[in-house]
Amino acid sequence: MSALLELNGVETGYGEVQVLWGVSMAVEQGRMTTLVGANGAGKTTTMRAIMGIVHPWKGAVRFQGEDVTRLSAHDKAQMGLVLVPEGRQLFSDLTVEENLEMGAYSPRARKSLDENMRKVYGFFPRLEERKRQKAGTLSGGEQQMLAVGRGLMADPVVLMIDELSLGLAPVLAQSLFATLKRLKDAGLTIFLVEQNVHLALALSDYAYVLAEGRVKIEGPSHEVARNEEVREAYLGI
Amino acid sequence: MLQIFSSVMDGLLIGLVYGLAAIGLTLIFGVMDVVNLAHGSIIALGMFFLYLFFGAGLHPYLSLVPVAILGFFFGVIVYLIAVKRIISGPPLMSLLSTFSVSMIIIGIGTALWSTSPYNINFKVETYNILGYTVTSARLIAAVAAVLVTFGLYFFLYRTVLGKAVRAVANNREAAELMGIPSQQILAISFGIGTMLAMLSGALIATLFPFTILSGGVYELKSFVASVLGGLGNPTGALLGGIILGLIEGSVAPFIQISWTNVIEFVIFVLILLFFPTGLFGGRK
Repeated sequence: MSALLELNGVETGYGEVQVLWGVSMAVEQGRMTTLVGANGAGKTTTMRAIMGIVHPWKGAVRFQGEDVTRLSAHDKAQMGLVLVPEGRQLFSDLTVEENLEMGAYSPRARKSLDENMRKVYGFFPRLEERKRQKAGTLSGGEQQMLAVGRGLMADPVVLMIDELSLGLAPVLAQSLFATLKRLKDAGLTIFLVEQNVHLALALSDYAYVLAEGRVKIEGPSHEVARNEEVREAYLGI
Repeated sequence: MLQIFSSVMDGLLIGLVYGLAAIGLTLIFGVMDVVNLAHGSIIALGMFFLYLFFGAGLHPYLSLVPVAILGFFFGVIVYLIAVKRIISGPPLMSLLSTFSVSMIIIGIGTALWSTSPYNINFKVETYNILGYTVTSARLIAAVAAVLVTFGLYFFLYRTVLGKAVRAVANNREAAELMGIPSQQILAISFGIGTMLAMLSGALIATLFPFTILSGGVYELKSFVASVLGGLGNPTGALLGGIILGLIEGSVAPFIQISWTNVIEFVIFVLILLFFPTGLFGGRK
């Protein structure tokens, strides 16, 4: 098996409310995998359960063949399982450069800090122009660039992104997706949660459709995009 | 006129020490939203730690070094025992928990040293600058407070660990996601806040006699100074401390000393009413 990240029957929720009902999926090396579904289907919860911010009640999360279900979020991040969270969650009082530096906090990532910082500035020249500015003063698009850039600074083995395009102008979203495509072509494994189903299916290799906390449909993205049920429910065609 | 000037200068110098104490309080609040009710008794403990090292033959100013180190580790231990488990709970829990720590410190302190006054007896120079008389102890206490504050800023803005403290203060969950062990950073932050409180206590002990109960007054002053400057803002806390010192200094020649507390708390209430985020902007 070449799956870098695997979920096996993960169940979890908040308090008494169960959100995920046995989610199993696999993120294969070098692929862009996407997770789509309606609001409230449990996409963000899946991401949070993978990181351990929400503890799985049942099931297991395996990363690089190792059971990481019970590890803390920072341990997983240090291993290279990196989540760019929904809503950016930047360190708003820190400068752009400090945010990037904090992305490379783990000893593994700090070794290649300078190199990665150059790469990130290469992808997002706007960030370099604003490196001394506080993250909280950036525009929405720039903040999303910074969130992705900060994730890249962690030298991810798997980069997970929760809602890349949310709240962004279509042009900006397109350019961010183009950047992701370049990263994937350079060999990065990406796991994407995305509300723009159309774009996500067009760009990714493999897709999972989540509904009511269960995986409804899965398959190569171009096949999922042709699926009648998916077209009706999510693509509005 | 000269008397008033002297009094204001004295107030400014002691105000810097109040500021240092307030930074300890405001740092802990800023990083983890915990109002540390053990702050005052930790200040008093700093006084007695200085007394112990001084008693062992160390010069008071040299004793500041072991007091600082002890303060840091004491804070880390208090965090691990009394704060860590309730850090995500409702605010009342950390209030009760740190209040209990305060009671324990005062209880043990009273058993060891009773509540009678102690003082640090060492050679103090007196300088006369243009008719203003000032002791070396007061000058050194103020300079030490400023140096420690600079040190803190250097740590917070120029070191990776310090930036991680600010990152955790800003967004604990995002910090975890970036591989920053947030619990470890919180423990370190509590350690530093405690260290600053103990250092301020030790500096105060070089100026005035003290008892194990002396911390209460300085805890209240720390609250006033932090709120003046905006809770969670270290620079604001230092400025708040200076303002407090200046107020004390400028009213001292005219009224009885016991009235200064009344004036300070009237100001405290007015600030809360009209500038709830402090004069210099606190954390939202």
